[in-house]
Amino acid sequence: MIITKKSLPRRTFLHGMGVTMALPLLDAMIPAISAGVKPVVRLGFVYVPNGVIMDQWRPTTSGEDFPFTPILQSLEPFRERLLVLSGLAQVNGRALGDGAGDHARAGATFLTGVHPKKTEGANIQAGISADQIAAKELGKFTQLASLELGIESNQLAGGCDSGYSCAYTNTVSWRSATTPLPIENNPRALFERLFGDGESTDSAARLALLDKQRSILDYVTSSINRLGKSVNRSDRAKLNEYLEAIRDVERRIQKAEQQNASLKLPVIERPTAVPEEFEDHFKLMVDLMALAFQTDMTRVISLMMAREGSNRAYRSINIADGHHNLTHHQNDPEKIGKVAKINELQVRMFAALLEKLKATPDGDGNLLDHSLILYGSSIGDGNLHTHHDLPIVLAGGGAGQVKGNRHLVYPKDTPLNNLLLEMMDKAGVPAENFGDSTSKLDCLS
Amino acid sequence: MKGKLENRRVQLCLVLLTSLTAAIFYITSTQAQRPKTIDISIQRALVEEYCIGCHNREARTGGISLEGRDFHKVGVDAEIWEKVLRKVSTGQMPPPNMPRPEAKAVSQFVDWLEGALDHAARLNPNPGRPAVHRLNRAEYSNAIRDLLAVDIKPGMALPVDDSGYGFDNIGDVLSLSPALLEKYMSAARRVSRLAVGELTVKPVEERFRPGSGGGFRSRGERVSDDLPFYSRGGLSFQYYFPLDAEYLIRVKTPPNEDAREAAKSYDLRLAVKSGLRKVGVTFPRVGAKVEPAVPGPRRFGDYSGMSMSEVQALPMDLWLDGARIKRFEVPETTGIDFVAISGPYKVAGRGETASRSKIFVCRPASEKVETPCAKKILTALARRAFRRPVTDLDVNPLLAFYQAGRRQGDFDDGIRNAIEAMLVSPDFLFRVERDPRGVAPGTVYRLNDFDLASRLSFFLWSSIPDDRLLELADQKKLSDPAVLEQEVRRMLEDPRSAAFVSNFGGQWLHLRNLKTVRPDPQAFSNFDESLRHAFGQETELFFESILRENRSIFALLDADYTFLNQRLAEHYGITGIYGSQFRRVMLPTGSNRGGLLGQGSILTVTSYPNRTSVVQRGKWILENLLGAPPPPPPADVPDLKPHGKDGRLLSIRQQMEVHRVNPVCASCHARMDPIGFALENYDAVGKWRTEDAGTQIDASGKLPDGTIFTGPGELKKILLTGHRDEFVTTVTEKLLTYALGRGLEASDGPAIRKIVREAAKDNYRFQTLITIVTRSIPFRMRRTPKL
Repeated sequence: MIITKKSLPRRTFLHGMGVTMALPLLDAMIPAISAGVKPVVRLGFVYVPNGVIMDQWRPTTSGEDFPFTPILQSLEPFRERLLVLSGLAQVNGRALGDGAGDHARAGATFLTGVHPKKTEGANIQAGISADQIAAKELGKFTQLASLELGIESNQLAGGCDSGYSCAYTNTVSWRSATTPLPIENNPRALFERLFGDGESTDSAARLALLDKQRSILDYVTSSINRLGKSVNRSDRAKLNEYLEAIRDVERRIQKAEQQNASLKLPVIERPTAVPEEFEDHFKLMVDLMALAFQTDMTRVISLMMAREGSNRAYRSINIADGHHNLTHHQNDPEKIGKVAKINELQVRMFAALLEKLKATPDGDGNLLDHSLILYGSSIGDGNLHTHHDLPIVLAGGGAGQVKGNRHLVYPKDTPLNNLLLEMMDKAGVPAENFGDSTSKLDCLS
Repeated sequence: MKGKLENRRVQLCLVLLTSLTAAIFYITSTQAQRPKTIDISIQRALVEEYCIGCHNREARTGGISLEGRDFHKVGVDAEIWEKVLRKVSTGQMPPPNMPRPEAKAVSQFVDWLEGALDHAARLNPNPGRPAVHRLNRAEYSNAIRDLLAVDIKPGMALPVDDSGYGFDNIGDVLSLSPALLEKYMSAARRVSRLAVGELTVKPVEERFRPGSGGGFRSRGERVSDDLPFYSRGGLSFQYYFPLDAEYLIRVKTPPNEDAREAAKSYDLRLAVKSGLRKVGVTFPRVGAKVEPAVPGPRRFGDYSGMSMSEVQALPMDLWLDGARIKRFEVPETTGIDFVAISGPYKVAGRGETASRSKIFVCRPASEKVETPCAKKILTALARRAFRRPVTDLDVNPLLAFYQAGRRQGDFDDGIRNAIEAMLVSPDFLFRVERDPRGVAPGTVYRLNDFDLASRLSFFLWSSIPDDRLLELADQKKLSDPAVLEQEVRRMLEDPRSAAFVSNFGGQWLHLRNLKTVRPDPQAFSNFDESLRHAFGQETELFFESILRENRSIFALLDADYTFLNQRLAEHYGITGIYGSQFRRVMLPTGSNRGGLLGQGSILTVTSYPNRTSVVQRGKWILENLLGAPPPPPPADVPDLKPHGKDGRLLSIRQQMEVHRVNPVCASCHARMDPIGFALENYDAVGKWRTEDAGTQIDASGKLPDGTIFTGPGELKKILLTGHRDEFVTTVTEKLLTYALGRGLEASDGPAIRKIVREAAKDNYRFQTLITIVTRSIPFRMRRTPKL
C-alpha cells in the first residue's frame, strides 16, 4: 500500500462523512515506465500545410535502403525508425461539387477522411479525427486525453477559405463531427497544463509545489469536515462532491510525487513568452511534448507546424514571401526553390522532434522506439491543390511493431485513413473501420 | 412600529414548532385578502362537469386526477391545484373543442381556487429550500474584486457553469469537478500574488489581441470607451502590473497580405507602479470628424479626409491610464497583431495598491507583534470572505499558513500564503445556510441576518456582502423591514448592481447569445462587430435605465426612448445621431422602435443566420414574457418547403401555413407563429423592411382566442392589455428564480401572487418589485427538509 501517513486520518474521516470510498486506484498510480511492463505506444500527428514539392520529396527507389531526397535529408539519422509512404490520398478533400476551398478541406480531412460541410457559420461539420478516437481509449490511463498543439496563433475566426469556416484550417483535431478542438501555441500555457503553475520541472521545485497543494487540500478537507457537521444531510451531498474532487486531485499529486522520485526529468523553466523565431518556438514545444509523453501525462498529441493555408514568411531562412503565395508557383523555378527550402526546414524541425524522443529514455528503450509519429500534409501538390499522392512519413518503432528503413509505394488513392486505422490498431485502440478506410494498411511490419 | 413587533415575534418562532410558526404568519398577514366565501359545492360541481371526464383515477390525463380531492383542504394537494389554477386561468383548460363553462363561472372558480390556495399557504407557508450553492464564475470574479480589490475577473479562467431554469446561479446544478478544483487552486495562487505582491515573481509575457481586422473596424470607429474620442481602431485592455518595476510594452504589427511588409515591433520599456491599469493602443483620427455613412474597405491606409499619397506614416499612440505615453510612427499597415507586456524587470518594490491598503489593516512595528497583526488581518479578511462572524477555529488554520509562508519569506509572504488557502476554502466557495440547531424536520424558519445579507448581495451584486451589510447583520438590524428596504435601494444605487443588469437581464432576455450569433455575411453585409456591440449596449442601457429610474416594468415593452450611437441609429433609420458614444434618444411618435421588441439584440438572437424565424420570435415571447413556453418540437420535423406544389417560390408565411396543416404542429404553432409574424417587418438583424424577397411583408396575425392584430405596435398593445397579468407574473417568476438560485415549485405559487399583488400598488416599478421580492417568504425564510 502506498498511502502516506498524512492522508490516512483524512480517509477515515471520509468514511465518517458517508462517502463510499474505494481504495486509491493503485493501477493508475503505477508509472507507465515500470520495468517489466509492456511499453506503451504513444501517437503523434504532425501536420504541414500547403503540400510539398513532391519531386524533391519522393525517394527515387522503393523498398529498403532507399536514398534520401534533399527535402527528407535531415531524417536520414533515423532511417531505421521510419517509413516513407507514397500513394496515399484523402480523396474527400476534393471539391466533390463544392467548388473552391481545398485548403479548408485539406485541414478538415487530414485525420478524419470526411468531406466537410461547406459553411462559414456555426453549423460546421467534418468527422471525429483519428487522434481523438485514440484519445478516448488511451485517455483512460492518463491525466490529459490528448494535446492539440500548433506553432501559429489561432486567432482567425469567421471564414478563411472560399466560404469555409476558419475552424477547418485552424485545427486537424475533431472531438466529434461538430467539435473542432482549438490548438495551443503558447508554450507557457502548455507548461501550466502539464505541470500546474510551478516555476520549473526541477525536482525540488515540483516537490515544493506538490507539498503546498497537499497542505491546502488538507486544510480544505478539514474545513469541509467542520462545515459538514453543521449542515443538514441533504446539503452535505454537495460538499461530498468537493471531497470527491479533492480525492481525485490527491491521487494526481500522489502519482506526481512517485514520478518525481523515480523519473529524472530534464529541468525546464516555465516558459515566459512565445518565442519570436519559428525554430525556437518549435523546439520549445518539442521539449514539452517529449515531457508530456515521458511523464505519461498523455499518449496522444497532434501538432500543426502552421495552420492550413498559412502564409507565414520564414525569415530565418531568408524567405520573405508568404508560404501559401509561394506554393502557387506556376512552375517558376525560383518560387519552387523557395518552397522546397521551406519544406526542408519543416522536415528538419520534425527531425528535431525525433531526436528529442530518441534521447528520452522510456522503459527498456527510448520514446522513439515506443511511438508512432505521423508526418504529412493533406495536400500533395500545393500549386494544383491535389489531395492524392500525399507526402507522408511514419516514424517510430511502435514498440517493435514497425520495421523501418523502407519506402513503401501504395496503389493510387489508397486512403490515408487505412494508415490511421493501422496506427490505432498498433496503439491498442480497437477500430474496424474509420471514415473512408477500406482496410488496415499492410506491410508496415 | 408594527413591522418591528411582528418581526420580533417571527424571530421568536425560530426555535418553536411549525404549527406555531404558521399561526404567527396568519396573524401577520391578516391584511391580505381572505378567501372569498363562495359555495364550495358549486366549484366541485364545475370540476365534476368539465374536468373529471379526463382527469379521473382511471384516465389520469396528463398525469392528473381530480377525482376525490378534498375541496375544503386544497393545501393538501397544493401542487395539483396550482397546476389547475394556471391552466384554467390562462384559458388553456378545458382544451379547445371541449365544452367549457361560462366566462363568469371560470373567473369565480379561479378566484375561489386562488383564494383557497393562498389561505392554505398563509396557514402553512412553504418557503422551500435552496441547495448549497457554489459561487459561479461571475460571482467568483466579483467576490475576489470586492474582497481583495483585485479586479481581474479570474472567474473567466474557470470552466463555464451549467445553467438551470434559464440561469447559471442555480445551486442544484453548480457542480464541482476535480478540474475545477485545480483551477481554483491555480486562481488562488495568482490572485494572492497580485493582491499582496510577490518580490520573487519571475518575468512573464502576456499578449493581448484586438478583434478581427487587426482592431480596425469597418468604419474606423472608436473601439472602446477607454480610448480617446477621435481615435480609430486599436485595442484597449486592463493589465495588472504585479510590482513597482520596469515593463516592456511591445506593439506588434502583422505582415501585410502579400508579406511584402514585414511584421514590425514597436517597443517601449518604462517603469510602472503596481496595480491594475488601462493600456490602450490606437490611431488618432485626422481630418473628418464624422464617421463615413458607408462602411469603407477594411484597409487601414484608406484614410478618411486624406488621399493615399498624402499618407507617409501614420501616428500610433500608446496610452496608459488615460495618458498618452508614446507616439510611434507606423507605415501603412493592416492594423495591430498584438500587444505584449513583459515584466517585471528591475523590481523596485511591492508598491502601494488598492489591494494592499485593503488587506494590511495593520503593520507590525516589530517582529514581536507580527503574529497578532497577522491574526487581525486574517480575521478581517475571513469575516468578509466567509460572510459571517469568524472564530479561532476559522482563523487558526489560516494563521498556520501565514507562519509557513513567513518562515520562507517576510511578513507579507506569510499573509499571501494564508490568502491563497482562504480562497480555496469551502466557506468561501460555497454559500451554506445552516439550519438552526435542534429544529424538527419540516420546520419553517427565518434566515439569520448574515444569511440574509448574502442572499441580498448575491441577488443584486452577484458578490459578497459589503462591510455595511455585515455590520447591520451583526447588529441584527438587517431583517428589520424598513432597514431591509433601505438597504435594497442603496444596493440598487451602487455601481455593483451592474452585475444584476448583466447577469439577470443578460440571461432572462438571452442577450448572452448575442456574442455567438453569426448573421450570414452575404445576406447581411451591414452586420459587423460594431453593430453586435451596439445591439448589446442598447439593451443593457435600456434595461438599466428602467431599473435605475425605477420605471414600471411595462416600460420594457413600450417606451418612448432608447439608447443609440451613430451606427445603430443609422441601422434603425434614425437621423441626426453622430459619433460612436451612446446617448439617450427620444423616439419620434409613431416610431417603429421603443421597447425590447424593437431592439436589434432581441430580434437578432431570435433569428437564423440567413432569415428571420417567426417561430423563434414567437417562442421567445411566450417563454420569456408570457411564461407559457411551448413544448419542444417532436423528432423528425420535416424542413420547410420553399416551393409550393406548383413549383412557385413560397414566402415564409406560406411555408409556415403548409407546416401548420399538420394538426400536431398546429397545436403549438397556432400560438407561436402569429406573434412572430407581427415582428416580420424587422429582418434577421433587426432592420426595418417592408418587403422580403420581393414580396410585401404581411405582419398580421390571429391568436387562438381570435384576437387579430398587425405589426409590432399592436402586438405591444395586446401584451400590455390582455396579457399584462401573464407578463408581470413571468417577470416576477424569473426574478424569484434568480434571487433564490433554485427552480420554482408549485408551493411558490402563493408567494408569487402575493408579490404581484403588492407590486401592483406601485404600478410594478422595477425597484419596488425587487424590494417586494426581498421581503417575500421564500427569500427570507427556509424550511428544514422533511424526513
